[in-house]
Amino acid sequence: MTSLLSPASSTLLTLVLYAFAGVAGMLGMILKNQTIRVVAATVATCGFILQTVILFMGFHAQTAGGLSLGAYLQMMAWFVMLCGLVLWIKIHQEIPLLFGALLSLVLFCFSARSLQLVVHVPGSLHAPFYALHIGALYISLALIAISFVAGLAFLYLDQRLKARKPLPHFLRDLPALNILDSINSTATLAGFPLFTTGIVCGLIYARPVYGATLTGDPKELISLVIWACFAVIFYGRVCRGWRGRKPARLMALVFVLSLFSIVGVNLFMNSHHAFTRI
Amino acid sequence: MDCDIVLVGLNYRTAAVDVRERFALVHQTDPENWALPLGGAVHEALILSTCNRVELLAMGTGDVRSQMLSAWAKARQASVQDLEPYTYTYHNDDAVRHLFSVASSLDSMVLGEPQILGQLKQAYRKAAASHATGVILNHLLHKAFSVAKRVRTETAVASSAVSISYAAVELAKRIFGTMNEHRAMLIGAGEMAELAATHLVQNGIAEILVSNRTYSKAEELARFYHGRAVPFEHLNSAFRDVDIVITSTGAPEAIIHAKDIRQVLKARRNRPMFFIDIAVPRDVDPDVNGLDNIYLYDIDDLKEVVEENRASRRGEAIKAEGIVEEEMVSFRDWLARLNVQPTIKQLVQIGQDTICDEVERTMRRLGSTDETLKEALECMGQALVKKFLHAPISYLKEGDSAEHSRHILTIQQVFNLDGHCQSRFAQSKHAESQEEDGLQFPAFSCSCTADRAESGEQAKENAGTQEADKASSCSKDKPCTCCQGTQEGLCHA
Repeated sequence: MTSLLSPASSTLLTLVLYAFAGVAGMLGMILKNQTIRVVAATVATCGFILQTVILFMGFHAQTAGGLSLGAYLQMMAWFVMLCGLVLWIKIHQEIPLLFGALLSLVLFCFSARSLQLVVHVPGSLHAPFYALHIGALYISLALIAISFVAGLAFLYLDQRLKARKPLPHFLRDLPALNILDSINSTATLAGFPLFTTGIVCGLIYARPVYGATLTGDPKELISLVIWACFAVIFYGRVCRGWRGRKPARLMALVFVLSLFSIVGVNLFMNSHHAFTRI
Repeated sequence: MDCDIVLVGLNYRTAAVDVRERFALVHQTDPENWALPLGGAVHEALILSTCNRVELLAMGTGDVRSQMLSAWAKARQASVQDLEPYTYTYHNDDAVRHLFSVASSLDSMVLGEPQILGQLKQAYRKAAASHATGVILNHLLHKAFSVAKRVRTETAVASSAVSISYAAVELAKRIFGTMNEHRAMLIGAGEMAELAATHLVQNGIAEILVSNRTYSKAEELARFYHGRAVPFEHLNSAFRDVDIVITSTGAPEAIIHAKDIRQVLKARRNRPMFFIDIAVPRDVDPDVNGLDNIYLYDIDDLKEVVEENRASRRGEAIKAEGIVEEEMVSFRDWLARLNVQPTIKQLVQIGQDTICDEVERTMRRLGSTDETLKEALECMGQALVKKFLHAPISYLKEGDSAEHSRHILTIQQVFNLDGHCQSRFAQSKHAESQEEDGLQFPAFSCSCTADRAESGEQAKENAGTQEADKASSCSKDKPCTCCQGTQEGLCHA
């Protein structure tokens, strides 16, 4: 049992479930088989439940006071799956969850190699604000990822419809444009307040920890740029009635910037948030 | 004399919508403006002009195709060179097969859609009203209608009947997902619009608005679908609450423009709109498709859905094509049998004349005027001739058209019929009353009984003269064209 719940084995099991769900989901989409898709979504849900149980059982506590890049990526995957699951329940569309399973699979593949690279979090960072900062940003990033996938699908479908070209056989079951736009919109409307909360918490927390609200850290700068873009989309959606292509494209930009923030800054740049520095 | 059935046309596969607009024969199918006058090479004609195809079907001799193309181009004030590249031509069996496929909706953009049969019937009514159809096309068209019915009942090709409007609803679902939160507007209250409304209602559309230049028509249709009529002048303001617009008017130019829709989009906060323009000429300016959140499909753009349907119904279509092939062969047989009709008629006539002559002769010999006896003799004669002619008539009907020619010649030689058999098509007017399998022996009408109320002597004298004439008409010295003198004295040519 202990070996099953070890970080490596649990990661492997979840990875297998997500891999099965992702591959079966794609197969279900290609074959236009609803049953296969539902089975795949159910397996993905099992993977999510397993990951949740493991998180709550706190196996990461084994690396007390530590934070690994692997755990960070797995948390990201968990939030992506959470969003996919919510969409499945809410709008009865399993496709976001299946895409989420594929994305989580990729994140898990990266996480498997870096679970042991534990970086100990300083005691000064143990505070509710820090948890809120991380939690809010994680959820908002997961929403950004979901809206990116929905936005890409929207742009593709929109382009095909505008050009009056038929969809490839395996994409015939793509959700309707309105549904994709609705996913994108929901992710924006929910994600922006969360992202704002995360950023504000970080800025407030930075003063006692680093001596200044803005320290010129690359992560701070890129986060503010993302926030500004996010704010524009939020404003456009709420006040200007933006729909369709424009917000989908801008959300894709936000996702690319977020990816750069997560991978580029955290791994390769000299930052408070870099795993090499924490 | 050989006659051809020729079909010249263009359709959605060979010509884009603008070309079809240019060469559409809308008013030219009306009797007063009939575009394909008979005469010259064309003996019978029919014009089918729908939004997806323009086809001219004709029966005639010689260069039928050229005459059809010239008349068509002339009707549209274009040159044959402009028209010809977009057209296809089918002859005889191929033309019949194509017509049956069209009637059965196997050649339609949306496989199995039911409208084409109605349109073909309408085209036939107009051609008949223009006195442009004759025996061949009448039979061909009726056969086409029965083939279409057979295809519908014996295959599942039209089990979930699809049409342009159905394809439109499928596309609407791809944009909006479900229909129950959306409103649709139908502009134009024709058959197509009504079908669209039916599909939308079946898919749970929240409300249907109907607009028409004739407000009463809009009201009538709106009432039928529990919808709302909108005055034609208020279209743009009504667009604010409408998500799907299906236009099917007969307007000669666009009635919906991009600049108007840009304003509408602002008012509706960019909620998407879907325009289905099934009118030819188009009702919606193509620039409208360039606007964000606006999707415009004209009749050609519906090909995508059509192809999808085609693929899923391929199996049934193969079955339906089998029926078409079978019926085409049946029509060919009928046509071939039409060729033997004059010979059969001649045979029957000879039989009748023989009965008439022999009954008269017998009555004279008996010196009787008893009508009962005469009727009994006539009945007996009828029965004998009927039995006697059964074998040669069956022989004539056997085989294909090539064999028919040989059989006709044989029978004509054996029975000494008139060698100058009239063409089947010239004779066809007379054969109109005779259905393919219903060749009837005409009711006995002996012309001699009343008109030849001659005395016995006169009759004998006349008979003698006739025999002498017959004998003298063919001899070794004066051979006839029929037996060349080989049957001297027996030949009645």
